[in-house]
Amino acid sequence: MTTADALSLAPSAGAVQFLGSERAYWRLRIKGAALLLLTLGLYRFWFATDVRRFLWSNTEIGGETLEYTGLATELLGGFLLAIAILVPLYTVLAGTALALDTAQQATAVVSFVLLVLLGQFALYRARRYRLTRTVFRGVRFDQHGPAWRYALYALLWWTIVIATLGLAFPWAQASLQRFKMRHTSYGDLSGSFAGSGSALFLRGLPIWLLVVGPIVCAFFALGAVVDWNALNGMMADGESNPLALLVGSAGVRVFIIAAAALSTSIASALLLYPLFQAMMMRWWISGLRFGAVGVTSRLRTSQVYRIYLRFILLMSLFLLLTFVLVAVCLFVVNRFGPDHGSALAEPLTSAIVLGLYVFTALGASTIYQVAVTLAMWRLGAQSAELSGAAALDAVRATGAASSALGEGLADALGVGGI
Amino acid sequence: MTIVLPPEMPNATPSTAPATRCGRAVYFDGTSSAKNDVVVKAGATGLRITAAHHRVLDEWCYAELRRMSAPEGVLRLGRSGETLLARLEIRDAALIAAIEQRAATLDRGGAAERRLRRKVVALSLAAGASLVVTAIFGVPVLASRIIPFIPLAAERKLGAAVDKEIRGVLDTRHLGPAFACGGGPGEAPGRAALAKLVGKLETAAALPVRLRVDVVRRGEPNAVALPGGHVYVYDGLIATAQAPDELAGVLAHEIGHVAHRDGTRTVLQTAGLSFLFGMMLGDFGGGGAVVIAARTVLKSSYSRRVEAAADAYSVDLMARAGGDPHALGAILARIVGAKGDDKDHSMKLLLDHPETKDRIAAIDAVAASRVTLPLLDAADWNALKQICSGLPAKDTTATGAAG
Repeated sequence: MTTADALSLAPSAGAVQFLGSERAYWRLRIKGAALLLLTLGLYRFWFATDVRRFLWSNTEIGGETLEYTGLATELLGGFLLAIAILVPLYTVLAGTALALDTAQQATAVVSFVLLVLLGQFALYRARRYRLTRTVFRGVRFDQHGPAWRYALYALLWWTIVIATLGLAFPWAQASLQRFKMRHTSYGDLSGSFAGSGSALFLRGLPIWLLVVGPIVCAFFALGAVVDWNALNGMMADGESNPLALLVGSAGVRVFIIAAAALSTSIASALLLYPLFQAMMMRWWISGLRFGAVGVTSRLRTSQVYRIYLRFILLMSLFLLLTFVLVAVCLFVVNRFGPDHGSALAEPLTSAIVLGLYVFTALGASTIYQVAVTLAMWRLGAQSAELSGAAALDAVRATGAASSALGEGLADALGVGGI
Repeated sequence: MTIVLPPEMPNATPSTAPATRCGRAVYFDGTSSAKNDVVVKAGATGLRITAAHHRVLDEWCYAELRRMSAPEGVLRLGRSGETLLARLEIRDAALIAAIEQRAATLDRGGAAERRLRRKVVALSLAAGASLVVTAIFGVPVLASRIIPFIPLAAERKLGAAVDKEIRGVLDTRHLGPAFACGGGPGEAPGRAALAKLVGKLETAAALPVRLRVDVVRRGEPNAVALPGGHVYVYDGLIATAQAPDELAGVLAHEIGHVAHRDGTRTVLQTAGLSFLFGMMLGDFGGGGAVVIAARTVLKSSYSRRVEAAADAYSVDLMARAGGDPHALGAILARIVGAKGDDKDHSMKLLLDHPETKDRIAAIDAVAASRVTLPLLDAADWNALKQICSGLPAKDTTATGAAG
């Protein structure tokens, strides 16, 4: 529950809540996972629609809930359209790669860039589909703006992020969020994004130093310990294995430095991931603006840590259960199953191995979706507080529903969101 | 568009119709986000939405009502075929019950929705099953039909590209040009003997492409055929062979892959599978496992068929070349016996080759038994055994099994 802000007129005018019960979401997810399994994934359009309906309709802003009006058949149509576009594209790319055997590297790079662009295009268009299917108080959200420009923009920013080893990430995020929110509206209320890249940078710098820092240090340390003469000598001898080169020229110290750096980096990444999530979510929610309506997030980092700890606990229990299941299966097969070497033994073993594999993968994904994704959604909603919510009372409707092509492309390219 | 209802006419409906009901609700007119606290009257033919001072805001027929997604305990109504997103939100349980009773389109209890879902699941199951059947039977047939249209030049090009890759992978000792046997001191007679053996098989096979057989310095008993007619024989295979016909049997098996254009077949089948199981069935949140599992099973089923066909080809070719067709079975039995067959039982699924026992039985079933002369005489066979003697063999136990 939110404590009423003394400044706001109506006590709940700016309150955001999540009403859905976790039990209902478990049921939805488990049933969906089972149907996905049976239909080899063809059920995913209906499943995604059910999930969105649940999340949207249980999110209450100022006493009114959101509504998701998208249909599964629209997603299916978007997917089929995307297939119709991608199959010829893949064929052309493969054909070009075979025809130009001299420039294979170049065609691979061009194909990769093209697919990244298409992926970002799809993400932007999919966001448009979801926004135009989001209705609040009888008025829909909307997103305009050219998806290709966003894709180019995103490609450029991600290149810079990689080139700066992640240091540019805050500014990339701020810039891309500004682009998205500038082209977002709720009725005649235009969106904007007020989050600052520099502020995010300052807050995130310690995380970067602990995660990427050790690897950068190790890189310089290796530069200092390598015996360059020995290295040149070995290269002249025709040695091309980089590991052999390093060991030969710097000795066992290479392993010590690399292991220390990697273990520090991985341990920091695992320990700080919830902190990073909390920081990003607080920053993102607090930056959202619709006209005079602003949002502040009072999300506490410890709440995110609690979510991840619970996830780890549930995962451990699930893996324990799987382990017991494996043991029981092995026992039953050995005790009552067909003889070793009989014609039935091999298909049976294969079926059990595959079944367990699929069970584990789907189970882990379901646990993650409920224990992390839903919990983060709930936390994000309940820690948010709207300011200037009175402006929400007089928004005029604009816009129309958009096509589901972006959703289809995102699905076919495997880059989807919620 | 507002449909104006006639005034309430209780007499027009049979007496079984429930009495009119009133209740509070929230109404959004779809043109603005302004929230209207209203009174809803569920009449005989529709809903009348009234604001303060009895001002009628809207009137909705039961037939056009649609249930929109809402949280538990709330009935959210919209109208079908309406571009405006006017909404009526009702929390009054008695009023909800009254409206649901009168408006058939609202699908009380969700029976119609459940029926639709069952249909979707049934159709998805059918579509999934049809895709799996297509993958099992359709893809190999389609690949066989497409192969004749792919020019041999393209296959050679593919082979050259694969060759570069595979040499890098196989040549774990970084021997470079010395990786292939036959160029070292004292290895030339071995090369001549190999050429003699390959020549006999090639003449009998009458392939549309030139064969190129290289013996390479690797310890495992194995051989690989690339698209376009390039065959690599590991020297471990020559060491395992106890007679020239055993080596010839394996060579004939690899020539079978070349004759059947199995390299190109694999490329086509993999592309077909990627389409069916990567795109159509797609990877959904964490459930890509289903698709990966299905692909693994299908790939191994394809390769079993391909290997069985190459075995049959070997038996036929050996008979035509005047060799012993049973020799392939003999060397296979020895290779498997040395490895210990049932050691990794559960990993069978991931192996490319069919059960060796079944393969040997199949070979013996089709091979005619008659007395043959070895395809190489003792002097040539001894020379061939020395084809890799020029470079002292290093310990190769560390290299992983391949091929």
